Amino acid sequence: MIILGLDALDLNMVKEFKCGNLMQIECGQTSLSGFELERTVVLWASFLTGRNMESEIPLKTQWEFKLKLEDTFFSSFKTYDAVDVPAFTLKDENHAEERKLLKKFFDEETTTDEYDDVVWKNHEENKNDLFNSIGRSDLVMGYFDLADAIGHLSFGVPEKMEKVYAELEKIAREVRSSSDDFVLVISDHGMKPVGKYGDHTRNGFYSANRRLGLNLPKITDFYGMIRSVAKIEST
Amino acid sequence: MEDYLTNLERKSISLIREARAQFKNLGVLWSTGKDSTANVWLCKKAFFGKVPFPVIHIDTGRKFPEIYEFRNKVAEEWNLDLVIAKNEEALKNGMSPEKGKLDCCTQLKTEALKSLIREREFDALLLAIRRDEHGIRAKERYFSPRDEEFRWQYADQPAEMWDLYVKPSEDFSHMRVHPILHWTELDVWQYVQREGLPINPLYFAKDGKRYRSLGCMPCTVPIPSNASTIDEIVEELAATKTPERAGRAQDKERAYMMQKLRSLGYM
Repeated sequence: MIILGLDALDLNMVKEFKCGNLMQIECGQTSLSGFELERTVVLWASFLTGRNMESEIPLKTQWEFKLKLEDTFFSSFKTYDAVDVPAFTLKDENHAEERKLLKKFFDEETTTDEYDDVVWKNHEENKNDLFNSIGRSDLVMGYFDLADAIGHLSFGVPEKMEKVYAELEKIAREVRSSSDDFVLVISDHGMKPVGKYGDHTRNGFYSANRRLGLNLPKITDFYGMIRSVAKIEST
Repeated sequence: MEDYLTNLERKSISLIREARAQFKNLGVLWSTGKDSTANVWLCKKAFFGKVPFPVIHIDTGRKFPEIYEFRNKVAEEWNLDLVIAKNEEALKNGMSPEKGKLDCCTQLKTEALKSLIREREFDALLLAIRRDEHGIRAKERYFSPRDEEFRWQYADQPAEMWDLYVKPSEDFSHMRVHPILHWTELDVWQYVQREGLPINPLYFAKDGKRYRSLGCMPCTVPIPSNASTIDEIVEELAATKTPERAGRAQDKERAYMMQKLRSLGYM
């Protein structure tokens, strides 16, 4: 099984840019009902564990928060690769660097160009890690924060977002063509423009390369389904 | 029929008295700007000439000399219980905007106030913010709870219908009360004019420039203007359709995003 965790991937944008490989066979929105805020680490931790982790992850230390393997669906698989997965294998230094530059941007000490360069550099690193993992493990999950990180400062800049979505679409196409495995694409939340900036919305995205028959699933609903894939694969 | 300014004043005084009745240890923030000076004046009027709680000035050590001069003069004339919040340690360590504007504001304003709140056990503060200042403030309520980290749950606020406000609770660290939330910039200046309130001279034009809002020296810039009296400022504002932060439309979005990214833990 392959999971593409795409931070802030937004259904409207996927449709607008006609990203057929991201949409796959079934696609729709996820619900964040039960969550007070659209916090990245909380939502991914909830996705990995199948339960709402909001009260267990303090805001201040959220980026250092790490789940134990046995609390996640990864433990159901014999082998797994988790590329930069928040609350699990997050590349702390890369994300700390992005947050530092974000802060510097609001302090008027840097430009969006410098920030974008670092985000794209980190993205390329994750892309290499993901494609090196495919075919090696029973479950591969790759996390990409490109749409979120670029979107926060440039969601209202169409040419930048078009480039972001084209890149994510390309990754989805390569993943789908490289394996017949079950491919799940999922985001933690959506995004909307605030002038040239981008703000989180409560509309997450999911898609699968097979019919699941889901209707506005919660982000925590995928846990059981992913574990059942592990059981099928082991029999 | 009462005039417009009297109606505004009556609502504000009612909010101040409500705050005083609800909370044991109230304080009022005073930057010495026009809004907070009008707010302190309303507190004075609400309690028949004497502000019965501390008046807090956050001293960043980076303010204009005119601000300190004005503060000391008015505090004496109005017989205020002036309390200074100052982060001496950050200043000693050389904190300044060059080290990052966000960090500077956090250390010299937020941390200074946090520490004073802890020390003096304030359970509510009166602040002179207005809804028309920028987008994020338009979401505020008259009674607005904060946690220990000053976080504000703007997505979870009551509607405040029929003058019903959030009550004291252990669920939050302190309450922010905003008596002039419903005023506009012009309302404040007309009120200053009507009541004959003292005003910091930095607001008056000199050589074709004046300050429209007052802050720390390194981060505050004057606007082009020839208004050198209160009457002329009122006239200038009444004639313009341009809002207080005119020409800084992006600032509203920027301020909103900064607040949002902070609340999500990005910064």
